[in-house]
Amino acid sequence: MNAAADQSAMTMLIRKLESIAALSDKERRAIQSLPGRIQNLGAQQDIVRDGDQPKHCCVILDGWACRYKLLSQGRRQILSFHISGDIPDLPSLHVPTMDHSIATLTKAVVALIPHESLRELTARHPGIAAAFWRDTLVDAGIFRAWLISLGQRSAFEHVAHLFCELYLKLQAVGLAGDHRCPLPITQADIADALGLTPVHVNRVLQEMRGRTLITLRGRMLVIQAWDELLRLSEFDPTYLQLERRAAG
Amino acid sequence: MTLRLQPVQVGTGSFDVDGQLVFDDDLLAAVLVRLSEVHEDLAGMWFLEAGFGLVGTAHRPTFAELDAAQTWIGQRLAHEA
Repeated sequence: MNAAADQSAMTMLIRKLESIAALSDKERRAIQSLPGRIQNLGAQQDIVRDGDQPKHCCVILDGWACRYKLLSQGRRQILSFHISGDIPDLPSLHVPTMDHSIATLTKAVVALIPHESLRELTARHPGIAAAFWRDTLVDAGIFRAWLISLGQRSAFEHVAHLFCELYLKLQAVGLAGDHRCPLPITQADIADALGLTPVHVNRVLQEMRGRTLITLRGRMLVIQAWDELLRLSEFDPTYLQLERRAAG
Repeated sequence: MTLRLQPVQVGTGSFDVDGQLVFDDDLLAAVLVRLSEVHEDLAGMWFLEAGFGLVGTAHRPTFAELDAAQTWIGQRLAHEA
């Protein structure tokens, strides 16, 4: 399909941007009329590769994706997780050569929006340009939070911090509530993101279950003791800069 | 190079307690732990819980057999891995 994307396709992007910035009706309409090529992708499929010079940006409409970097001997560092409404390669609009790859973690639906259309959109609507900039800055804040976890947190605290972050990000775009959220990624994905081994991730999850902090059932994470998880991981949601701050 | 194993109980904070100290002559080179049933498809395998010196690595491997673990540790100590 190579036509203007279904209007509802951009709804998640609008929802994402409105979770961190205010948009006017005019700006919402402009985003909705963005052209985009819809692609259905399988799990573990590259969307953009390290070294590519993409001519479009990818909005995730459904499913999960990640930024990652490959090292020798099959080692993979996952740099960030992405959900519906995210544009993980938004920087490619201004930084032409990818210095990492982006891949799906689950089956996913994405919309590829030409750079040209995004440039036109941001030139006509400075408010949208500001929202994209803010999104990029929030992204940098998330990287700082991950860096703190990598450097200072124990495996247990690190996993707890990630769960708090993922829950609030999903809740902000309407994909989670009542301390329940989808978690369709594997323990190996979590390990590659947190610099842990799958063995350690499994031990931490067992301990969390044993202390009735969480349950994991059928790719659904239920946080049974939200306040305790926040306390244990010293989680401060300020860095997510959510407009409608979750009450938790 | 001769590696020597010594059974040990390891406090990993999990069900994985059965371990082996791996000595290179008299120097402790590694601690291996046998993964318990909670690890499902990895259960029964040997995990490099800790490696010292040349055996230390961020990417800690898991081995199907103790022999394979010892071969790998031997290679690391000989700068081959």
